Amino acid sequence: MVKPKFYDLNVYSVPEGKNTVEELAALAKHFGYRGIAITNPSNSCPPGKPTVADGIDIFSGVELKVENASKLHGLIGKYRKIVDVIIVYGGSESVNRAAVENSNVDVLSNFGSLKDSGLNHVLAKSAHENDVAVSFDLGEIISQHGGRRIRALSNFKKDLKLVRKYDVPFLLTGNVRSCYDLRAPYELMALAELFGMTREEAMSGLSTTAEQIISKNRPSANYVSSGVEIVSVPSNDAGIFLEEGDGQ
Amino acid sequence: MKVLPPTMRENKRYLAFELIADGQVSRDDLIREMFSSSGSLLGDLGSSECNIWLFAFDDLKGVVSCDREHVSKTRAVLATITSVKGKRVSFHILGVSGTVLGATKKYLEGVDIFNPEEQSRINE
Repeated sequence: MVKPKFYDLNVYSVPEGKNTVEELAALAKHFGYRGIAITNPSNSCPPGKPTVADGIDIFSGVELKVENASKLHGLIGKYRKIVDVIIVYGGSESVNRAAVENSNVDVLSNFGSLKDSGLNHVLAKSAHENDVAVSFDLGEIISQHGGRRIRALSNFKKDLKLVRKYDVPFLLTGNVRSCYDLRAPYELMALAELFGMTREEAMSGLSTTAEQIISKNRPSANYVSSGVEIVSVPSNDAGIFLEEGDGQ
Repeated sequence: MKVLPPTMRENKRYLAFELIADGQVSRDDLIREMFSSSGSLLGDLGSSECNIWLFAFDDLKGVVSCDREHVSKTRAVLATITSVKGKRVSFHILGVSGTVLGATKKYLEGVDIFNPEEQSRINE
């Protein structure tokens, strides 16, 4: 069996979190991750450069946290060209709505609240059409207790139902702010199974969906424009063969 | 007391783990924390089905035993442990085995506990 590549696309480093990028990357590699994205909020520090440290990819990312949805589109335009991952920190209905309707957004996180799961059929449809992933923040299950955890688990259950019905891409993230918040991929999968996610779904949330987001924003050499790519280039050898064919 | 015949015994799994911790942690404190987390995540009923027990623990490495059908729940319980007596910790399960010997031999022998701060300095 091919070993799956795991990614966590929502990791905070200093100054937002407690540990440096190097410490987080070393531990993430030890836990079996293939890559992490550093997503500090846009108002705390400028996004870092993507790097490849031995055996682990560090992607650049940014978390956009806005009060009002009208500012969001300007910020997205500003960061789209310079980072690999754009995460919108949701919460209010208008911000959630604006995020899933903008195809330049990669991930919508923290869209739920204590009262409401945050996602509904309209948002789910829109997220599917614009290919915006929603993130299940398993950090809430890890760090919260009692009522808040109960609420988080039941919200995730509702979200999962919508995600399945409308085929919305989703990620599993750990909301990592320090080394001690990081959990290994299989532990995150066990946590996701608590609210009814199957093993295959959890696996895709940690690996394939994240891979797709990265490859979408880092087009390969064959990419021309949306929907158009170079499949093959006629080489010189083929030309010679044709000439020989003509001569006979 | 007579030992139960093998077919009547509970079927167990043994999870080898390392603890990424901010200092040393005592066995008793860890057991207390494990039970409180399992009680809070699974409740009394779930915990009794899961049958989690800290089998051995020394120098931030150890083995947890649990019921064979509830390995995934046990992993989830261990993942929700965030601190032991005020020290931040993170469980990392190295592997699951059907015997204690298998778990220790395959996953724990010769393992050095990972310290993120030291490791990043080596990389520099």
